[in-house]
Amino acid sequence: MSEERLDKWDRELNRSSSSISTTHNNTPISALIRTLDKTYNVCELELRKIRRDYTDLLIRAIQPILWLTIFGTAFSHISQNSIPSLAITINGGLNGISYLEYIAPGILAQSVLFISIFTGISMIWERDLGQLDRLLCSPVPRTAIVLGKSFTGGLRGLIQAAIIFIVAVMMQISINFNPLNLIGVAAIVFTFGIGFSSLSIAISTMIKSRERIFGLVQLLTMPLFFASNALYPTQLMPEWLQIISFINPMSYAVDALRILMITGNFGRLLTDVGALAISTTIFIFFATMAFRRMER
Amino acid sequence: MVNLHYGKHKDHQVGIVHGREFPLSAIKVNDLRKKYGRINSLDGISFEVFPNEIFGFLGPNGAGKTTTIKCITTLTKPTGGSIQVFGIDAISDPDRVRQNIGYVPQSLSLVGELSGYENLLMYSKLYGVPKEQRHGNIYRILELLDISEKADYQVRNYSGGMMRRLEIGTALVHNPPLIILDEPTIGLDPQGRRMVWEILRRLVCKLGTTIFMTTHDMLEADQLCDRLAIINNGKIAVIDTPTNLKRNVVVGVSSNGRGTVGGDIITLRIPSDSRSYVISIIDREMGIKAEIVDDVSLRIILKDADSLFSKLLNTLVNAGIRLDSIDMQTPTLDDVFLQYAGTRIQEAESQAMESWKSIRNVRRTFRQMG
Repeated sequence: MSEERLDKWDRELNRSSSSISTTHNNTPISALIRTLDKTYNVCELELRKIRRDYTDLLIRAIQPILWLTIFGTAFSHISQNSIPSLAITINGGLNGISYLEYIAPGILAQSVLFISIFTGISMIWERDLGQLDRLLCSPVPRTAIVLGKSFTGGLRGLIQAAIIFIVAVMMQISINFNPLNLIGVAAIVFTFGIGFSSLSIAISTMIKSRERIFGLVQLLTMPLFFASNALYPTQLMPEWLQIISFINPMSYAVDALRILMITGNFGRLLTDVGALAISTTIFIFFATMAFRRMER
Repeated sequence: MVNLHYGKHKDHQVGIVHGREFPLSAIKVNDLRKKYGRINSLDGISFEVFPNEIFGFLGPNGAGKTTTIKCITTLTKPTGGSIQVFGIDAISDPDRVRQNIGYVPQSLSLVGELSGYENLLMYSKLYGVPKEQRHGNIYRILELLDISEKADYQVRNYSGGMMRRLEIGTALVHNPPLIILDEPTIGLDPQGRRMVWEILRRLVCKLGTTIFMTTHDMLEADQLCDRLAIINNGKIAVIDTPTNLKRNVVVGVSSNGRGTVGGDIITLRIPSDSRSYVISIIDREMGIKAEIVDDVSLRIILKDADSLFSKLLNTLVNAGIRLDSIDMQTPTLDDVFLQYAGTRIQEAESQAMESWKSIRNVRRTFRQMG
């Protein structure tokens, strides 16, 4: 460092010297605005990371593509020939759609689920690296940290959706491309992504060591995915599994996506959207509470 | 080079530093306690950091340094006691404390994927720095840290020293009056360490910033800190300036055997037949008692031996005494540390090396995973 440059710095500093800052006015409105503003900043930070390094996004797109191309193709063949009840329920009960068309929304929901669970995992990394401490001792509201990270999870889900749509078109799965339906799909994916990102944040605040994450991820994603209507109609499940599927938020997301992308039977859409909205709200609340508790 | 020997703590009652008014203390901690389960991490510590000084926490690993920092930075809630930062209660009003501190944790907190500029930009936004100030502010910080030319590189390509400097930079974006650093130079090479010191001193001298830091680097504690607290097993053993701490180190038992004495040790090696003669000369000419160590050596314990050393030498030469050797040992912070922490620095340091290694590993992983 040259003396000359430092002196220049010193001169400029004298104009903006540090002083003790006083608190903001804390009306509910200004607190809300501040929270939303900081949510945007936390989100921006996350998006900048993705922009600089998007390999992760691409790698994560591979799994759902494999599910569609390998599992989807194989199982649609098997179900046609060997599982008459599955074929009948899908084809007969739902306007004669193919099995691939049936699972495409399920695979989309599953990939969003995986992406969202990753939000919590990356937060544990940040905690261990010390990045989280920096955020926690800044004036950024706790709620804004949770919301910012969850919203990023929702946005990542949208990118997944785009990739899966492209693959589905390439596989000649007929998807409804009505703009209103597309907006609906985006809204469902975003909400679902936010909800499960929040859930994963809540869980990650309770995890002390990084090694336990992957076991826990398995423990969480397996039942959510398989005890839902993503791969097969719930009518074909034993009763106890149907009950689990009924309280599984994933089922509602898959159902809503299936209506908007494939079937167009709008009967249950309102129930689905309602269930999804409620579960997402609960998860956000849960995550914020858990996050606040963490500082003790 | 700025003159570093200010001793600001003497002026604290005024409450005005560099023409700006400050509360009487930057940090005031009273009877702070923190329990993790049944373990007492902090066992009732009290101390005060005055505005515009560099206050250091020196202690072995596990002494409670990081826990203290976590309490002050509002990252954890203490089990008991009180903390005030510029008169603001950190426990009941953490948000206002957060606005007034910049925190540099021991582990690496930068975002590796982003450039140095982006890291500073994002922290500016998170801290609510007004838009029109951000850009100029960031460039000034980059200049101070001497990383302007690497500002647009991804941080994961930075050297350890650059990462550390940038990290300090991210704590400066909102011009906080108090900066808290946990082991600021751990794992840095000597040059990187000197640069960090230089930056911290500039902040104190030019901005009136107060610095609270932990360290187990003796040289750093000695050269950088205005005052030191030696902490061991969750308790503060002593708080004083490095100079006073060294001066008061107990180096031996006084000649009457009843008390302990502190100061510098001068060891004389002389032919054994002139021993009693030398003792009497020193006593008569200078009024100092020399002790017999063995057949050929004498020991003198003196406070401020620097000033008396040449006089002693002259006295002995004038008396025609043949000296085989003369040696002066000044107590170091190592001795202070031993006395209060009950362990040698090397031992604490070897533990430190462990954590140093782990930090370096984190840095390495960080670069790989980005």
